[in-house]
Parts: sequence; C-alpha cells; structure tokens
Amino acid sequence: MPQNQLVDHLFRHQYGRMVSILTRIFGLKHLETIEDAVQDTFINAIKAWQNGIPDNPEAWLTQAAKNRSLDLFRKLGAEQSRIPKLDSGPSSIALGELFLDNEIADSQLRMIFTACNPALNAQDQIAFSLKTISGFSQKEIAASLLLKEETVKKRLIRARKSIQQSGISFEIPSGKELPGRMNRVLEVLYLLFNEGFHSTQQAFLIREDLCGEAIRLCKMLLEKKYTTTHSAHALFALMCFNTARLKSKLNTQNEVVSLRHQDRSTWDMALIRLGHVHMEHAVETDRFSNYHYEAAIAAEHATATTYEETNWANILHWYELLDQVQPSPFNGLNRAVIYLQLKEFEKSRELLESIEPAQLEQRAYLYYGLWAEYYSKKGEKEKSITAINRALDLVSNEAERTYLIGRREKYASHI
Amino acid sequence: MLVILGKSYADLNLSPEEVQARMGKWFAWTEKMKTQGVYQSGNALTDQIKRVTGPERTVTDRSSTELKELIGGYYLVKARDFDHAVEIAADYPDYDLNGTIEVREIMHYG
Repeated sequence: MPQNQLVDHLFRHQYGRMVSILTRIFGLKHLETIEDAVQDTFINAIKAWQNGIPDNPEAWLTQAAKNRSLDLFRKLGAEQSRIPKLDSGPSSIALGELFLDNEIADSQLRMIFTACNPALNAQDQIAFSLKTISGFSQKEIAASLLLKEETVKKRLIRARKSIQQSGISFEIPSGKELPGRMNRVLEVLYLLFNEGFHSTQQAFLIREDLCGEAIRLCKMLLEKKYTTTHSAHALFALMCFNTARLKSKLNTQNEVVSLRHQDRSTWDMALIRLGHVHMEHAVETDRFSNYHYEAAIAAEHATATTYEETNWANILHWYELLDQVQPSPFNGLNRAVIYLQLKEFEKSRELLESIEPAQLEQRAYLYYGLWAEYYSKKGEKEKSITAINRALDLVSNEAERTYLIGRREKYASHI
Repeated sequence: MLVILGKSYADLNLSPEEVQARMGKWFAWTEKMKTQGVYQSGNALTDQIKRVTGPERTVTDRSSTELKELIGGYYLVKARDFDHAVEIAADYPDYDLNGTIEVREIMHYG
C-alpha cells in the first residue's frame, strides 16, 4: 500500500532549500525564474508520485531541483554569458557539491542574510523572508500578517527591486560587518515570531506556522558556528518559552485568555526544557542583549506552576535590566503592572507618572487602562471611569475594546 | 472513464503548502478507489499540448495558460453502472478549484 503521508510542511521547507541553492548558482538576478522553476517541481511530484511516494521524497525533490538547474543553465546560459560554466573556469563550482546538506544550509543562511539586508525596508524584509525562505504564497503572507494581498504583492515587488538596484551579493557578510548584520537578522526573526505570537485575530494554525518558521530559521543560525551567538541562543530560548504556551492564549471562542487564567497543564514542557538548555548557552557571556532579558522574563512565567507563584521580584529585576540595554516606555508600563499586582501602589504611580503616553503611540490605551486599574484599586471610582474612557477613545483592536468595556462595567459597579 | 478537467496546477499559483495538501487528497482518493476494488488504471498528463487538425494535418501548440480548462489526467474505473461511476467521481479533490470530472462509459462491442 502506498504511503500517502508526507512530513508536515515538507514542500514548504524544501521550497526554501531549493530556491536558495539555485539562487547561489544563478544569482539573485534570476530569483523569479528560479521560484517558478521550483514551484514546477512540486507539481511534477504530484504527477510522478501517483503510484506511491518515493522512499526518500526529499532526495527526489532535491534531484528534481538539480535537473531543473541543468534546464536553467541551458535557458539562462544562452541569454547570459555571466552564468558560470558548469565544467570549467575559476568561478565554476562542482554542481553536485552544492546539493550536499551542508552546502544547502549555507545557501539558506545566505538567503536569510539577503532578506535582512539593510537595503530592504523593514516591512519588506518580513514579507520577502516568508516568500523566499518559507515558501508562503502571497495569499498566505497576507493572511498571516493581516494585510491585503495587494499590499503584500507591492512589498514583494519593492523588495525584489531593492535587491536588483542595490546589487546585493548573495553572501553572508564576514569580518566587522557580520555582528551588525546578525543583529538585524535576529531582529527580523524576532518580529516574525511576534507577528505570530501576539496577534489575537488570526486562526491558530497561521499563528503557529509563523512562530514555527521563526524558530526553524533561528535554529538554522545555531547550526553554523559563525552565526551561533549568545544573543541567537537567547532569542531561541525566548521563542521556546513563548511557543510552549501558545495554545493556551486563546480559548475555544477565540477570546484572549490572560496569563492568570491560562491552563498551565497545556504548556509544552519539552519546549520549556529546550528553552532552558539554550538559556544556559546564552549566558556564557557577560554581555547580555534584550533577548537575554526577555527570555529571562518568559522563563519566569514558564516555570511558575501557578500564577500566584510567579516570582514577580525577579521579573521586576529583569525588566529594569532590559530597560538599560533597550530603553522603552513599555518596560516601565510592565513594571507598573507588576507593582499594582504586588499592591505597591506608590511605586506603580511613580512609574506611571514617569511615562509619556504619546511615546506609546497606538498602544497609549494601555497606559490609561492601567491608570484606571490603579484608581480602581485605590477606591477612586470617578477617576477610574474617566481613565478607562480615555483608553476606550484610543483603542482600535476589537478584542481589546471588548475587554476594556468589561473592565469599565466592573469599575462602575464598585461601590 | 473519469476524465479530469481543469486549470493546470502550474497556473493556479498554489503555495508549496497547498500543493502538498492537494497531493494528500489525491492520494487518498486513489487509495480509496483501490480499496473498493474499482480502480483499474490512471495517468496524469503533462501540460504540453499539440493539436493536429484538418486535412493539412496542421500542428498547433496550445499552452495551458491560454486554456480555461485542459485534460489533466484520467482514471479507468470498474463501476456497476453510470450512477456508481458518478458516485466515485464525488471524491475528486479539486471541485473547489473549479475542476470538473467528466464521466464517460467505454463502449464495448460484441
């Protein structure tokens, strides 16, 4: 009986591999032709595998990509003298060798660094990464980033154009350039992960896919010596801790479940353990990044067996240190929340007074929401209602609005 | 015979993830026909089309992109009757992509 099950996401991951290898051979200039060619190999696979999937589908697809590259040599080679000759010349690379696992991983890292090249603007970097490295279609990118398909299309076109115009080379930067570029790569992966983790509007599968991709790409960095940095370990740990509790963030009605009410028995203990392993590598340095502190905070939450047992004192400490490496009014806001929990009202008030709400931009509603909570705890009903109304004036997300309206009713019913 | 008609997958802009999901459904359908003992044979066709027409045997190339639908493949099934064959066709996975199955009986002589 032919086996009709493939490893989850095999095609998606294989797509990224094949596009990377072929780009290494033919150059970024031919990216679109390459992407079409790779797409074709999957469609051919459907037809070729009618009577059973080969024992090693991955090898079959890799071989298909290799054959495609020979076709492309003929097609592009005729138009372009720039294309390296297969069998001679100093630029020639033995084709077979490029298809070895180690070289495939290297090609993929090159693609990651290309996607995170500063010549591309930040929004385009994420869309381009999802398309080229993760094999998402425009439609899938639009659904996962909550954008219109047309917007995604524009971003992809702009990204390709920036790559052509700035003549980016398909390489991993070396020497002095590497650390700075590594930072950008980590930042893009961090953003990609957060798109999946923090959105409250998307279907669970899409969010899980985005987080999964961010984790996979970060893992690739950790498989090569020169891209294995302490910060990369810390970011990986952060992703593990957060992904471990992804499933408990929304209830069956798709409503946000606050940390206090999440079902901790659903948290993925294996992922939490993996996070700790990477955390140990991450701290083998005396220079900590924002990822170190964010991972430390996530670890505190992940290891607390109940909400009440959370070590708030530690978390406060991590937030203070985080604010030193990466100052942000949100760190202050988070600390104010914790002080409120700990009933240290004065400290909470001091922090809130030190924050300029305009700096919080679209999330300024959180600031007023927190004031409302503060006044309510202090028994100042009028002031809490005034504050929550300010918050409601500023909030745009529907799920958050519903939450705030619920709070307002609660404050109003307080005597 | 179940004749499969539709747009070519190559022209539908499916993502790798979607192609993989489609493939799973195709295999499940074939598998079901085999388990039920109705499957005889089947083949997928490539997108290359040449038409030979007229007394001059004029040969024209047709590309899948310009065709609204083309024959993507066929299955030969052994059905009790026409209705049974239609029933088998109900499991074809691409109706949501505007695909069509044409059910035709093979003519037997003698």
